[in-house]
Amino acid sequence: MDTHLMLGNEAVARGAWEAGVQVAAAYPGTPSTEIVANLAKYDGVYAEWSTNEKVGYEVAFGAAVGGVRALTAMKSAGASVAADPLISSVYTGICGGLVVIVAGDPGMSSGMTEQDDRYFGRISNMPMLEPADSQECHDFTRLAFALSETYDVPVMVRLSIQTAHQKSLVRVGERDAVARRDPGRHADKYCLLPKFSRPLHASLLARVARLRDYAEASPLTRVEPGTGAFARIGVVTSGAAYISAREALPGATFLKLGIVHPLPLEAIKRFAATVERLFVVEELEPYLEEQILAAGVAVEGKQWFSPLGELTPVRVGRGFYAAGLDLPRWAQQKAAEDDSVIPRPPVLCTGCPHRGMATAMKKLDLDVHGDIGCYDLTSLPPVSHMHAAVEMGASIPMEQGFTRAGGSKKGSLAVIGDSTFLHSGLTGLLNAVHQRTNVTVLIQDNSITAMTGGQTNPGNEKTLAGAQTKPVDLAGICRALGVEHIVTVDPYDYEACLEALKAGLACDGPAVIITNRPCMLFPRKVGADGIYEVDAELCNACQQCMKLGCPSMHHAAAVFKKRHKVDIDASTCTGCSLCAQLCTPGAIKKAGDA
Amino acid sequence: MSAKKAKTAPAASRTRGGKAAADPAARHYAGGVVDDIMVVGVGGQGVIVAAAIIADAALLHGGLEVKLSETRGMSQRGGSVSSHIRIGATVIAPSISPGEVDYLLAFEAAEGLRLAPSVVPGGVTIVNTQQIVPPLAAQGEHSYPFDAVARLDDGSRRLTVVDGNAVAAQVGDLRVAGVVLVGALSTHLPFAVETWERAIARNVPASWLEMNRAAFAAGRGVGDA
Ligand SMILES: Cc1ncc(C[n+]2csc(CCOP(=O)(O)OP(=O)(O)O)c2C)c(N)n1
Ligand code: SF4
Ligand code: SF4
Repeated sequence: MDTHLMLGNEAVARGAWEAGVQVAAAYPGTPSTEIVANLAKYDGVYAEWSTNEKVGYEVAFGAAVGGVRALTAMKSAGASVAADPLISSVYTGICGGLVVIVAGDPGMSSGMTEQDDRYFGRISNMPMLEPADSQECHDFTRLAFALSETYDVPVMVRLSIQTAHQKSLVRVGERDAVARRDPGRHADKYCLLPKFSRPLHASLLARVARLRDYAEASPLTRVEPGTGAFARIGVVTSGAAYISAREALPGATFLKLGIVHPLPLEAIKRFAATVERLFVVEELEPYLEEQILAAGVAVEGKQWFSPLGELTPVRVGRGFYAAGLDLPRWAQQKAAEDDSVIPRPPVLCTGCPHRGMATAMKKLDLDVHGDIGCYDLTSLPPVSHMHAAVEMGASIPMEQGFTRAGGSKKGSLAVIGDSTFLHSGLTGLLNAVHQRTNVTVLIQDNSITAMTGGQTNPGNEKTLAGAQTKPVDLAGICRALGVEHIVTVDPYDYEACLEALKAGLACDGPAVIITNRPCMLFPRKVGADGIYEVDAELCNACQQCMKLGCPSMHHAAAVFKKRHKVDIDASTCTGCSLCAQLCTPGAIKKAGDA
Repeated sequence: MSAKKAKTAPAASRTRGGKAAADPAARHYAGGVVDDIMVVGVGGQGVIVAAAIIADAALLHGGLEVKLSETRGMSQRGGSVSSHIRIGATVIAPSISPGEVDYLLAFEAAEGLRLAPSVVPGGVTIVNTQQIVPPLAAQGEHSYPFDAVARLDDGSRRLTVVDGNAVAAQVGDLRVAGVVLVGALSTHLPFAVETWERAIARNVPASWLEMNRAAFAAGRGVGDA
């Protein structure tokens, strides 16, 4: 049989392809990006990067209503963005199968929040499967399409970053030939007017009851008998937490849940009766624990296993140890790393087009309402100029509210990337214009969705599928929204950045500033355009250039007045020239110009 | 070979039958032994490719389970990167628990120093002498440990120091430094040289294969030393 080492996300894509998926639509986001990125490589699949998760959901939903199998994928925050269609589509049901992947990030390695996405199952009553390794990612996704059509409902596959980003072995299969189903025309199913939605809610509840029966008897609700000293310890768990619990306490008896909404409560009760002590091991909230307690079963859970962060094997092991189990492997808390070694967080790339404006905003000491993208990296030292960076699209409305609250002395503005502006910035800007609020908006247009690894957006000439398309004109959009002051600026020109910011802030009316240099890494690595070097004689160690935080600049061994002179790494400098512009003694020059 | 902790394979997989005598890997992984290999470095150094080669070597050898997990987050922006590879007859978790690393392969000296406490007593540390100073070092609060290799070489561990860039330069191109380091690790694992070469071929462009083979062989020489 054909076996491959696959990322959880690759396995989801493979399972969907085998299930005959024809349309896949998503907005990128860690840790779900690789799913649709991989589906785009398969024949017979239309895959797109949609403008945002709600749009992606609705495109996939429309395809499913149109009779083919469709998939959408998103990170936790994306599920919040798409919550409206996510909940409504459970009322309507589908025609072709619809599978919704939601990938959470316990531990927040990509920042944002660590919300527990299992509650989307409860709030929407969408059935939810939770795989634990790549084989299950593959198998559960295939199964989800079948369940979706059998029960006429979208099915969610919930991943944790641990599952999405681990690699394990997968036995793959062939693609099923799935014909398009006749979509018909069904106003009573797809028009959520009260006349239709009231009976639809009743049938939705009846369907949950049928799905619960399915979960009770499903092979996805699996008892794994224990051996040895811990065989009488029962553990109810699912997904990534199952893997950690198996590693931490291998001899226990497990009830491994593959379906986490609706829960097979009868199976859990039967399981509880067979063990001496019952634990629930789950990441984040006491989602299983509360439902099991409500069903009248005594269980131990969150008193031993933290609701914070990723439940790694050691954290689960330490929990069992604290609960009194004799586990020498976990008896001691061992050091993972030496914290005294200098941290190495990600930084803006050498030559990044975001650097000039960030430094200029810092210089003007502005209150910056940021958004979500690579430019957030400047909220850390040495630039540290951002006041807020909360969720996608927040920058402009927050700036509007801040202005309405009285603003600040030195001025404030919104900063947003091209992809984020197109995701959810437009409506905020339209609102500010309509409300006649004098907002200043900086669009850091690097012509790509960079932070998530360089996905295309409507600002690009190509789609995910490689088709030629017309890049959107950001200035034109702003003009159409009613903005009159629109300036395009070269972010490698530091003086021009300062001037553009000052003019925008002084403008009586909404102002938009747009930068015009591409990302250095995506869609392709940009090479050096000449390089700069430091004349060690002239350098007076003033440290002005070091405020840029360029990774190609470092301290030289030479010292002047107790401060290090600087040096430039010739092999990585891209020649953006910003450091030369900041250098007061004129010590930094283009190589060869000396 | 490093001292092995008894890890946690289910009882069924502990006895491995007659194949054990003939196959050094079967012997090596008998009794539930899992090799926990951690590759660390800085974004852009090739840590992910190195991990893929190691995992492929185990897979191509056959009959073994391999699991892998990688640093999540923005590894392309010059941050710390780490990759966990676990190899055994049966492997449960894809990530290595603190203090249980059998083989630490550090592409960068300070990253080696950072992860050194995670190596099991008697485990192997292979460190590249390359030093990449993060921009944060210029901010004053933290300083870069230029003495990282010396601090690692305190007699308390099984240490191999490799000047990967120098060896790669001799071979012909700095870009094969990662495969030099994989070569240095390879002598500790029970897979045949041909198996490693097939694993390399899977992960590098065909036009670079010869150069990478040479880099691997040179790295093996260092590892043997
Ligand atoms: C709702 C939501 N969806 C997706 C993401 C993941 N994400 C974070 S930044 C980003 C891309 C931002 O692109 P852009 O605004 O162009 O800035 P750049 O990174 O290119 O500088 C994405 C998709 C998120 N954080 N929240
Ligand atoms: S990926 Fe592009 S936008 Fe992001 S930090 Fe690097 S150059 Fe800047
Ligand atoms: S010119 Fe200066 S700031 Fe720009 S990339 Fe080179 S060293 Fe960095």
